[in-house]
Amino acid sequence: MNWRIIGYSENDAFMNMAIDEAVGESVAAGGPPTIRFYGWRPSAVSIGYFQGLENEVDLARCRELGVDVVRRRTGGGAVYHDNAGEITYSVTGRTGLFPTDILASYRLICGWVCDSLSCLGIDAEFRPINDITVGGKKISGNAQTRRNGVLLQHGTILHSVDAGRMFSVLRVSDEKIRDKMIANVRERVTSISLQKPGTSKELALHALMRGFTRGKSSGPGLLTDAERGRAVELVTERYGKEEWNRMR
Amino acid sequence: MRCEEKITNGKLVAVEVWSSGGTVSRARITGDFFLHPEEAIDAVERSLEGLPLSAGEAEITARIRAALGGSELIGASADDFARIFRKAVG
Repeated sequence: MNWRIIGYSENDAFMNMAIDEAVGESVAAGGPPTIRFYGWRPSAVSIGYFQGLENEVDLARCRELGVDVVRRRTGGGAVYHDNAGEITYSVTGRTGLFPTDILASYRLICGWVCDSLSCLGIDAEFRPINDITVGGKKISGNAQTRRNGVLLQHGTILHSVDAGRMFSVLRVSDEKIRDKMIANVRERVTSISLQKPGTSKELALHALMRGFTRGKSSGPGLLTDAERGRAVELVTERYGKEEWNRMR
Repeated sequence: MRCEEKITNGKLVAVEVWSSGGTVSRARITGDFFLHPEEAIDAVERSLEGLPLSAGEAEITARIRAALGGSELIGASADDFARIFRKAVG
């Protein structure tokens, strides 16, 4: 099976989620399994499928900072995707390529993230259900969905952490709790830059490319015109719509 | 009525319940858990509508299990949903 590898590009939050879904549709229709690396421009918050928008996000603060907010098609928690400080990947393939057991499939794909970090000299491990940690601190969060015979897993790898900004857009009503959370996140979260100071985003992307493609037959590819067109439709139909983002 | 709980070794689950005349008129389950397929949450929430507020945990669990069918919950269970729902309604 020849994997299509789509190199790093930046889109807004709505387009990023729409591209992941459009690629899923194309894989369901017989397209190649695909690994994509991407960033968020502008910075954005994504919330899990089951989360309440108002509960999770300080929408006024997001508007003030120009931070987009989008609901994912996958479960899991709210994530602040900093334009400069984070790299996202998505893996899309027929479910037959992965273990049937959901945790085992998280372990497999998260293993590719760990292999990538290992290329940078960072010793990371999969922490079920869906996290990757270094020395007990989270460096990557991941979320998976399966539908129409296709598995989609996307996840974030922290390149640098700005806990203050992260928690200024996530909704925490009590200022004391906010302070506690920031202290907490500083203790519990790490990044490539904290682990290996001076590692550029380019070098991190190079490592991800190596870790994700090791042992696979793969080649560089692009989104097809049909996928891009479908993604534009999905922004209009779903990800850019209030009905979707305010669904819960 | 609302109750929120972080499941041990699992995810956060919050249950909100609206009632009318002693029965559930609407229930909403939110959190950072996973459910495949995701849309199954609608059936779970609908299955709780019409339940008397006095319903026991066993009955609540049975309704949730039936609504889930073959769907797969990760980071929470039908029992967790039922327990938190029960706590929410007091």
